[in-house]
Amino acid sequence: MASGNKLLETVSVTMCFGGLTALDQVTYSIQEGEVRGIIGPNGAGKTTLFNVITGELKPTSGKIFLRGKDITRFTPHIICQEGLSRTFQLTFIFPEMTVYDSIWVGVNSRARRPWNPIILAHHAADISQKTQEICHLVGLEEKRNELASNLSYGDQKILEIAMALSTQPSILLLDEPTQGVSPKEADDISEVIEKLSKKMTIILIEHSMDVVLRLCHIITVLNEGRVVAEGSPDEIRKNEEVQRIYLGEIS
Amino acid sequence: MDIRSENVAGRRETPTYFVIIFLLLLVLMGMVLPKGARSLVTHMMIFCILAMGYDVCFGLTNQCSLGHAVFFGGGAYGVVFSILHLKVGVLPSIFFSLGAGFILAVIVGLISVRLTEAYFVIITAIFFAVFHLLAMDLTWLTGGDDGLSLKLPSVSLGSVTLSLYHPMVNYYFVLTFLAISYLILNRMARSPMGKIFVSIRENEKRVQFLGYNVFRYKLMAFIVSGVFSALSGGLYALTLRYGSADFFSFHWSIMPIVWCLIGGLGTLAGPWIGVVIMSLFQYYVSAWWTYYLILFGIIILLILRISRKGILGYVISRRLN
Repeated sequence: MASGNKLLETVSVTMCFGGLTALDQVTYSIQEGEVRGIIGPNGAGKTTLFNVITGELKPTSGKIFLRGKDITRFTPHIICQEGLSRTFQLTFIFPEMTVYDSIWVGVNSRARRPWNPIILAHHAADISQKTQEICHLVGLEEKRNELASNLSYGDQKILEIAMALSTQPSILLLDEPTQGVSPKEADDISEVIEKLSKKMTIILIEHSMDVVLRLCHIITVLNEGRVVAEGSPDEIRKNEEVQRIYLGEIS
Repeated sequence: MDIRSENVAGRRETPTYFVIIFLLLLVLMGMVLPKGARSLVTHMMIFCILAMGYDVCFGLTNQCSLGHAVFFGGGAYGVVFSILHLKVGVLPSIFFSLGAGFILAVIVGLISVRLTEAYFVIITAIFFAVFHLLAMDLTWLTGGDDGLSLKLPSVSLGSVTLSLYHPMVNYYFVLTFLAISYLILNRMARSPMGKIFVSIRENEKRVQFLGYNVFRYKLMAFIVSGVFSALSGGLYALTLRYGSADFFSFHWSIMPIVWCLIGGLGTLAGPWIGVVIMSLFQYYVSAWWTYYLILFGIIILLILRISRKGILGYVISRRLN
């Protein structure tokens, strides 16, 4: 089913919770290097799609392929090792660990023996260096010794992205990275995402149309668990059904 | 690039001076204490190992086990059986106690670590109950409530022969194990493995999404914890020179939790403070008031009211802010 150039592909994925169909025959694919957006009203199934792809939920039916490999039944940590990483909508961090250590743990997961009980953690030079690079890349270098819980909400969102990055993924799934932050912080975050988009494949769930329209090549619209439209930002803006969904939501 | 985030890592790290002072005091006290007090301190040091071992499980990976009496008792009987039936020396018998702890922790861990929170607490409590009942009922094997007495062979280290019957020897024997245990566990806590344990405590699900098999790491922590609890049980059996079904009693599941909470979860040496406070309290207050446990509870509540991080956790966080 899966062809070679598709990095990630879902084939008619359906997810039911009891009587509720959260995802209905979603077929979706993304190619290497693309930056894709997923939008849709609340309850459209965006986060559920992420949960299914990352292995947190097992789909009721359908298959998921990463580089042509069937990952439908894999556990989250294996999927992460396969090079797929995600962030969470509500910050999901290590409150009582420093920024540096939080990122360090992710980088360490790629080490040859991540569980080494004998060496001192901060003596592994390659891991320290990589951690430092990521701190620098996302702009948290000066705050690297702060406890994660002491960061501002915007910085926590950035840390969230940095932690997802730390496992060195080839595809990054971002779940509403600018939700609930100030406009200034949202700018910082989209700047980080823009930087990343030059290096890796990204799928971005967003409520804020500004961010999606600015960053994404192709946008997919989900509504009630179905893909209702897919296309370039311009096409999506003109699409009547999308307008109806969004206007309908407002009224 | 030289990034040493050592002094901020984890933030619950025990100040080294505290450990050094504590151990030095113990070394000095061994020489000056009167007999009765020395035996009390010997017991405390054994409990310190149990408290520290338990802290790996509860403090580092946030698994609140009620089953550690199984490992404590298992370790004690590892010593008792190996000396009685296999006629081994004192030091080899300790290896048997570690082995017993390891095997029991693997068995209990493989089943219970899959579960989290309340379910984990309940299943470890069930394991405790099963082992306690078995130890009580299989009197032909364990001696039941009366227990089995030991005759200890003397320890020969090179040309020196030591007898654990001598209280002073016993004291420093236990102290050596306490110091070694601390060095091993402290090293582990600061290694990559320790960092992973702490991140599991902080947010288990997120660790999974960073590519770690959380079950495996929780099991590792559980086993390390079980092995050190068994060491503690083994030393206790050697010190008392007997083992009984009492070593499996609920006391040994509950006390570690209390020690850790009072002293400071996840600090390794913090629970030592808990041990000292509780042991002194038990020793002196129980002498003049039968219902001392009520006072006990109030003090625990007061300490936790002031700081949820326990005494050492409170000191550490005050120092940092």
